[in-house]
Amino acid sequence: MALRGRSVIPVFGLVFLFVLAASVRGDEGAPVRIGEINPLTGKLATHGGEIHEGILYAVEECNEGGGLRGRPVELVSRDDQSRPEVAIHQAEDLLYREKVVALVGGYVDSLVGPVSVLARKHEVPYVASASLQRALTRQAPNPFFFRVAHLDGIVVPLCRFVSRALSPRRVAVLFAATPGAAEMAGEVREALEKDGVEIVLFEKFRPGSPDFTPFLMKLKESGAEVLISGGFFPDHLILVRQLRDLRIPLKAYIGPWGVAYPGFVKETGPAAEHLFGMCAWGPGIHMPGTDEASRRFVRRFRERFGKEPTTTTMHGYTSARAVLEAAKGVLEEGRDLAGEALRDKLAALDILLPMERLAFDSRGDPLHYEQVVVQIQDGEIQAVFPPERAAGEVVYPMEGAATAP
Amino acid sequence: MWVQIFLNAFSLGSFYALVAMGFALIFGVTHAFNLAHGELVLLGGYLAYWLTRSFQVPFYWTLPFCMLALALGALLLHLLVRKVREPFELNSLVLTFGVALILQNGMLSLFSADYRLVPAAGGPVKLPGFAAYLSPAQAWLLALSLGATAALYLLLKRTFFGKALRATIQNREAAELAGVPIRRMRLAAFVIGGSLVGLAGPLFGQMAYLHPAGGMEATLVAIVVTIFAGIGQIRGILLGGWILGLAETLAVYWGGASWRELVSGVLLILFLLWRPEGVLAPKRRAVP
Repeated sequence: MALRGRSVIPVFGLVFLFVLAASVRGDEGAPVRIGEINPLTGKLATHGGEIHEGILYAVEECNEGGGLRGRPVELVSRDDQSRPEVAIHQAEDLLYREKVVALVGGYVDSLVGPVSVLARKHEVPYVASASLQRALTRQAPNPFFFRVAHLDGIVVPLCRFVSRALSPRRVAVLFAATPGAAEMAGEVREALEKDGVEIVLFEKFRPGSPDFTPFLMKLKESGAEVLISGGFFPDHLILVRQLRDLRIPLKAYIGPWGVAYPGFVKETGPAAEHLFGMCAWGPGIHMPGTDEASRRFVRRFRERFGKEPTTTTMHGYTSARAVLEAAKGVLEEGRDLAGEALRDKLAALDILLPMERLAFDSRGDPLHYEQVVVQIQDGEIQAVFPPERAAGEVVYPMEGAATAP
Repeated sequence: MWVQIFLNAFSLGSFYALVAMGFALIFGVTHAFNLAHGELVLLGGYLAYWLTRSFQVPFYWTLPFCMLALALGALLLHLLVRKVREPFELNSLVLTFGVALILQNGMLSLFSADYRLVPAAGGPVKLPGFAAYLSPAQAWLLALSLGATAALYLLLKRTFFGKALRATIQNREAAELAGVPIRRMRLAAFVIGGSLVGLAGPLFGQMAYLHPAGGMEATLVAIVVTIFAGIGQIRGILLGGWILGLAETLAVYWGGASWRELVSGVLLILFLLWRPEGVLAPKRRAVP
């Protein structure tokens, strides 16, 4: 039976009203979709997985608390396979097809950088979990890019610790050939030289190198007392074992990235004893005033995932909390979750979390991010610097520097 | 100091040789370009890790177990590879790349993305009369690379079976015409190559680290050392590994850590130009 011309109009009208009503009602109860991109497979999968779990925990915590003004939060996760070109493709998919209101996650600048450019192009806020390179926030203004960590939060306490707590005369710096590590190494050298410390070795290496022994022989000859090793978790595994095997008489080994992990202590065993690392958070290492929140996070994370959360997990949690708080703020004002509204809320954010008091400067960098120096003591990760956050004394020179592991 | 540097260089070279040996044998006999080689090495490493961590099996006992397990694994790979049609080299490359991806994801599910290290079997030993130390991993590497090279060399040179394998490596068609059972030679190459991979795996897990995505590094090492050595040149593998290890060590010592890859690359190009047949292979005379 064919519809006549006149009867078609009311049918279209009804359909239009139905769609309109559905869309209005849908917005009210519809889930808030947040996109997450992390390296879940490939070379960076270890830390990418940790960030993912932190983000997932934050979203589940939010939903358990009733969501955002009654709207559930839906996390749309994507794996960038530790490859920048895949990160771009996945970000485009999240922005074009999934129509997420914000992006979160990311580990290392080579993966975060391209996504931050897309976020700006689409005017969708992106809060990066682990990004350090200055160029990302300082080269060209990107009002839609925010991050919960930055390089100063590592370099400043590290150099203060070396100059004030260890006071060595000769220091060696070894760093991975990545933009963030190279930038950190350069700034550490500059700061330590200003303090009168002689940098006797300054070398870069390709991450994943299986042999550090020639470098260690030079280290022995140089008479360096302290080695600052800007490599990553797996590089420390090899370097520390070879350092102990060759009996290099070093007074302190500092690995800003990769040492302060329970997994590192477990795999390295007794050879990890008295090594220094850095972290922004750890079970028992948190911002003053967040004791209960930090303890609850550790307890509930263990229940949910059956393992210990790490500092990287907390970076993921912190970045997700920033997005959720901003979205909540926008909805409380009765506004749509548009990119600009979310961006404004993020820019005005000021919340105390276990890892940091989170507020951003005009470039999107965190204002109060500062890591603490930790030392492996009796197989435990102890905060030792700065004194106001220390839970133990610094052991220096490290015992067994020239003895068996 | 120099004793220690040379000891480290030869240990590194032995490590490279041991990682490459299985790949070189399989490639030489079957012409299968096994891109899953590194993943098989990792699998051996993960098996050793599981045995030492979960059952406190001494390190030396993990070696025969991994050799057996990886020989079986290589046998399964052979069953897949023999189904490959022409062009064999290209299709085997695609097939083994697929196998590598499956193995990567399998290891990710079984062992997670955490970095693992096979525990060291004891502490380092000071060499009498020298200010140099030999770690257990270095001792194993030197002993096993020499032992495996000698065993494989004797097998290929002194046995009838070895001669048949060599004939297959040199000219498959001629060997087949002479009555050499090519299919059985391929099977044997996969089984022996697999057991060599099983020997390399636990040492890889002790010298380097284990991560599901780390297989490509081992595959690249194997390809480079095989090019150095030349197809079917077993002694050349050890020599190629040592040359590479020595060049890298001296480059890092004199120039810096960033020189390692540059020196390896230049050396590889020079070898390809100067001795494309391999470091120990006799030079072919031009036909007048």
